[in-house]
Amino acid sequence: MRWLAGHRLAAFVVAAAVAAVVVSAWLGRNDRTHPAALDPGNPDGGGAQAVARVLAGQGIDVEVVRSAASFERARTGATTTIVVTSSSHLGSSTTARLLQHQGAADLVVVAPGPPLLRQLGVAQVPVTTSADGPVGAGCPAYDGLTVRVEHAQAYPTAGCFRGPEGVLLSQPRPGLTLLGAPGLLTNDQALDGDNAAVALRLLGQRRHLVWYVPSLGDLEGADAVSLGSLLPDWLEPGLWLLAAVGIASIGWRARRLGPLAREPLPVEVKAVETTRNLGRLYRRSGDRRHVAHTLRSAARARLAERLRLSRRVGPDRLTGDVAARTGRTVEDVESLIGPTAPPPGNDRELTDLAQRLTELDREVSHR
Amino acid sequence: MAITGRVPLLLLLGLVAVLARPAGSTAWLWLLVVVLLVGLDLLLAPASGSLTVARRPPGRVRAGHETASTVSVENRGSRRANLLVRDAWQPSAGAHGNRHRLRLAAGDQALLSTPLRPTRRGELAALGVTVRSFGPLGLAARQRTLEAPAGLRAVPPFESRKHLPSRLARLRDLDGRSAVRVRGQGTEFDSLREYVRGDDVRSIDWRASARNRSVVVRTWQPERDRRVVLVLDTSRVSAGRVGDVPRLDSAMEAALLITALAARAGDRVDVVAGDRRVRSRLRLAGARDATSRLEDALAGLFPEIAEADWTGLAGAVQSFGRQRALVVLLTPLEPSAVEEGLLPVLPVLVAHHRVVLASVQDPEVERLAGRRSGLDEVYAAAAAEQTLSRRRATADLLEVLGVHVIDVPGEALPPALADHYLSLKARGLL
Repeated sequence: MRWLAGHRLAAFVVAAAVAAVVVSAWLGRNDRTHPAALDPGNPDGGGAQAVARVLAGQGIDVEVVRSAASFERARTGATTTIVVTSSSHLGSSTTARLLQHQGAADLVVVAPGPPLLRQLGVAQVPVTTSADGPVGAGCPAYDGLTVRVEHAQAYPTAGCFRGPEGVLLSQPRPGLTLLGAPGLLTNDQALDGDNAAVALRLLGQRRHLVWYVPSLGDLEGADAVSLGSLLPDWLEPGLWLLAAVGIASIGWRARRLGPLAREPLPVEVKAVETTRNLGRLYRRSGDRRHVAHTLRSAARARLAERLRLSRRVGPDRLTGDVAARTGRTVEDVESLIGPTAPPPGNDRELTDLAQRLTELDREVSHR
Repeated sequence: MAITGRVPLLLLLGLVAVLARPAGSTAWLWLLVVVLLVGLDLLLAPASGSLTVARRPPGRVRAGHETASTVSVENRGSRRANLLVRDAWQPSAGAHGNRHRLRLAAGDQALLSTPLRPTRRGELAALGVTVRSFGPLGLAARQRTLEAPAGLRAVPPFESRKHLPSRLARLRDLDGRSAVRVRGQGTEFDSLREYVRGDDVRSIDWRASARNRSVVVRTWQPERDRRVVLVLDTSRVSAGRVGDVPRLDSAMEAALLITALAARAGDRVDVVAGDRRVRSRLRLAGARDATSRLEDALAGLFPEIAEADWTGLAGAVQSFGRQRALVVLLTPLEPSAVEEGLLPVLPVLVAHHRVVLASVQDPEVERLAGRRSGLDEVYAAAAAEQTLSRRRATADLLEVLGVHVIDVPGEALPPALADHYLSLKARGLL
C-alpha cells in the first residue's frame, strides 16, 4: 500500500489501461464474429472491412451475404458486381449455384484455387508469385495505377498488372474477373501503392455490390474432394505397372520345369499298430477281467520260463516255487498270479496289479 | 512357353518411365513394349523340335548307393541354343541336382550327368527330359518335355553281406573237418587218416585200422548238392513295418545271405515268391552269380494287400523237384494268417522236406508289454501279452508239426537263418 501511495500516477495509468482493454474487448466482441480473411465485417489486418466501408461511403449499395441461400435471395442484374472472397470454401455445388444465379452480373473471384478455376472453365493454372515492388497496370481500365502486394497468384493470360510470371487481374471471359492479389483488399495493405484505388475501381464499377462470403455449411456430400485428386498422378499408372509385375512374377515362378514326378508308393503299415489297436479296443470295452487274466497268464508263462519250469507246469507248483524264490507268502503270490485270483474291481486296481506283476517278475529274475 | 525373371524386372523398370511421364498411357505403352519383346524373344528361341535327347540306361545299383544317369542332348538346328534341361526321375531315385544349364552351338552335342542315389529298392522309372530353350534376349523360353524312357533297377541293399565272411569261414572249417559226426545222406567219403584225440570213435574204420599199425578214422566231406528252397511271402502280413524296415525287406536280406552261402557250399537254391499267385519263380542252381540274379528278381517285389495262397506256393515248391530239400518259409509268424493259410499245407511239405519258418519279430511288442505306468499302457500291455502268447502258441504248434521256427528281430534274422543252415549242414541233416 505504501508503494501505491508513492506511485499514485503510475497506479492510475495502469488502472486506466486495464479499463481500456476491458472496454475495448467488450465493445469489439461483435467484431470478432467474422474472423475470415477478406471478410467485409472483419476489422483485422487480414479483413476487408475498410474497403467495404469505403465502397459504401462512395454510395455503392454493398450487400454482404454469407450463405448460398441468402446469396440466391440477393438481387443480381446488369447493375450488380458479385465479389467472392474465401473462395476456397466454395464446393462444386455452391459454385454451380453461384454461376446459375450470376445472371448479367459481373463476377469477381478473389484468389480461386485450381479446382474452382477448373469449374469456372479456366484452363490456366496460376503461379504463386511474390512481388518485390509495385506492379504497373499496363491496361487502360487502370491506367497509371500500381498494385503493391506481398503474395499473389499470377495468371499466364492477358489482363492487367503484368508481373514477371503473369497478370494479377485476369479476365478470362466477359463477366468473370479473377483477382490474383487478394492483398489489395485487406485492411493492412489497402493503403499500399494504389491498392485502394484499384479495389474501388474493380468493385465499384456498378451501383450494386454483392459481397459473397461462402460458408462451408452449404457444402454437400458430393463436394468432397476425391482421394485421387490428392495423390500424385504417377501413382495410378505405377500401381498398374506393379500389378503387371506381380502377374509376370507369378507367371515366371509358377511355370514348372516339366510335369510333376509321381512316386508309386508301396503299401507299408507299422506292424505294431494292430497290437496297439487291440489295446485301444480293450480300453474301450473296459473288460478288466479279460485283461487281468491275460496279464496273469503271461506272467505265469514268463515266471515258469525264468524258473526253468515246463510251460505246462501246474499253477500250484509254480506259485510254490515263486514263493520259495522270492520269500513271499504263497497266498500273496496266489493273489497275484493265481488263475482263480479275483479280477480287479476298478481301473486303479488293474494298474496296480500290472505293476505288481512286473515287480514280481523282476524279483524272480534278480535272485 | 515360359518367361524368365527378367520380364518382371523389365516391367519394374517401367516405373522410371511412369515417373518421367505420369500418365496411364505410359504404363500401357510400356506393357505393350514388354509383351512385344517377350513375343519376339519367343519367336527367336530355337524350336525344341530341333533338339534330340537320348538317355543312356544307368543299369542297376544297390539301394542307397550312388550312380548317375546320363542324358545326351544334341542341337540339330541351325541356331545356337541356350538351354535349361531337367532330367526327371521319380523321387525315390534320389536325382539331386538334375537341372543343367548349357549352351549348345549348332550341331553340337553334350552329355549331362545327373547323380542318382535311390532311397529304396525297386524298378525306378525316368520320367522325361524337359528342355527349356531360351530366346536371345533371355526373356522367354519354349518348353517341351521329351520322352526318353529309361529305368534304374535298385536292388535290395544286401546289408547282411557283412555276415558273409564269418559264415564262409565256418563253412570252410566244416569242409576240412576231420570227421563229420553222423554220416548224412549227402556226405561223401573223403579219406582215411590217423586217429587223433577228440575224433568221434564212431568214425573209426576198424578194417583199415586192422591193416595199419595205428587207429585210422574215415573223414567225410560235408554233403554237397543239397537243395534249398526259399519261399518269400509277399502277402499283406509282409507289408508290416518293423522299426523302419518292412518285413519283406528283412526277409529278402535273409534270403540273399543264405543264397550267397549256399552257392559257395555247392548247394542249389530255388526261390519262389508270391502271395495270391506266384509272382517270381527262380532256379539258381549252379549259377555263379546266384546272388545278383536273386537281387534282380527281388528288386521289383512289393507287398500286396492280399492273403497268401499257400496251396499255390507249396505247389510251386513241389514243382522244383521231388528231392528232399531245406524249405525256408520267409513269412511272419502271424497267428491267424499261419493257422488259416499255412497249416493245412504244412503236413505235405514236412513229409517231403525239412521246413524252417523264418519270421521277423517286432521288438516293439515286447516293449509294449513291459510298459505299465498308466491305464492306457496297461491295456496296451495286455494286448501285447495277448499277441505274444498267441505267437508263442502258434510257434509251439509249428514245432509240434516238425517245423523249426526262427523268430528274431529283423536285423538278427539273416545271421540266425545262416547259422541254422550251417548247423544243419554240419550235422548232415540237409
